[in-house]
Amino acid sequence: MLLASVLVLCVLALSAQAPARSQRGSVLQSWILTVAGPVATALGTVSRGVSGTSTSFVDSFTARAENERLRRQVERQNEELFRLRAEVGQIRGELGLRASAPFLPSVVASAPVLLLERRAGLQSALIGIGSSSGVTAGSPLAVPEGLIGRVVTAGRTLSRVQLLLDASAAVGARVVRTGDLGIVRGDGRGALLLNHVSTTSRVRAGDVVESAGIDGIYPRGIPIGRVESVSRGETLFLDVRVVPAASFSRLTDVLVLAPFPAAEPEGPSATR
Amino acid sequence: MKLGRIALLLAGATALEFFFGGSKYRGVWPVDWLLVATAIVARSGGFGRAVLTGAAAGFLEDALTETLLGLNAFAKAGIGYVLAFVSVRVIFGGAFAVGGVIALCCLANDAIVAVLRSLLLGAPVVLGSPEALWRAVATGTTAGVLEAAWSFPWREWRERRRAGRLR
Repeated sequence: MLLASVLVLCVLALSAQAPARSQRGSVLQSWILTVAGPVATALGTVSRGVSGTSTSFVDSFTARAENERLRRQVERQNEELFRLRAEVGQIRGELGLRASAPFLPSVVASAPVLLLERRAGLQSALIGIGSSSGVTAGSPLAVPEGLIGRVVTAGRTLSRVQLLLDASAAVGARVVRTGDLGIVRGDGRGALLLNHVSTTSRVRAGDVVESAGIDGIYPRGIPIGRVESVSRGETLFLDVRVVPAASFSRLTDVLVLAPFPAAEPEGPSATR
Repeated sequence: MKLGRIALLLAGATALEFFFGGSKYRGVWPVDWLLVATAIVARSGGFGRAVLTGAAAGFLEDALTETLLGLNAFAKAGIGYVLAFVSVRVIFGGAFAVGGVIALCCLANDAIVAVLRSLLLGAPVVLGSPEALWRAVATGTTAGVLEAAWSFPWREWRERRRAGRLR
């Protein structure tokens, strides 16, 4: 009886949300993220601290064998070096990203990745930044290597992100060498597929794929990945597999970009 | 199990999700701590509490990571009931049995969520991905280790060691 009641409640809750799924997430979810923000940020900070310390420990392990007296000094220096490298790398990446794509909308801020969920086709993340820093639902996310995804629900200090690898995610894309347009979709298993590329296209393995700026969500010219394989499908289009440019499993920080205005309203629909 | 303990268990599981999820080594041992928490409550044999704990754990997971609230709540409530049933009516003893059942439940959780997402959002059904299998292995193994640690006769072992030292 209790199980039935809980399951019916869940179904009712799901039914209530389903019509608004393509919009900006429910108000309830936004509130929950806002309430969970401080706790999640604190835990994320602790977790990142532990990761940083363990990395420093590994880095200094080889130096430790040389001399016992120098070990502590090297460890301290490595800790500082690690921190400074991360800061410099982040700043350099941000500058590099802006320089490589002058049409890129301004970077709102960088944010730490607090949680990454990858199950049953779902590929989402929680980032430690929210509406208090100017982040809104729909803001694209990138790292210096390439596009990551977009914000779907923004709390005050915490936002939920749909990664490009999600089975429901899609982005208007362009093959840089040939200029072919298509839609990159996540397969939910960690790879990307470039759809709607005609069989007459000269796309080949190794070609760089970037965002085309035709979906009204993602800006133009941000690398998405590199073509891994091309094969003839059973339809009029090629089956093109793309290796993501960014390493999704090791995300630690992301750049939040300003929301991109619709360039062509009649273009292919973007992320559902 | 008392409600206070269940709340503490859920808070601990959520904290562990964030602790490991925020690390860049998150993919090394991806345990579903909320499922483990549900299993711990179900182990005590209370159907009602197992279902409610599963629903609460799933709801937490949905609030933080899912597109729709209720997907994981639905799945974990059902899994809580099944685990309580297995615990009471059939067998729920031994680390290997527990590990295997939890690993299967982890895969079942994924399958239920995938089907619901497909029905409600039109998303493609993705089942049996290497990540999902590894997650099931990690969750099952962790649950098995916890069960082994829980049921191990620590007091007797300590007394035996002390007696051995005296001899």
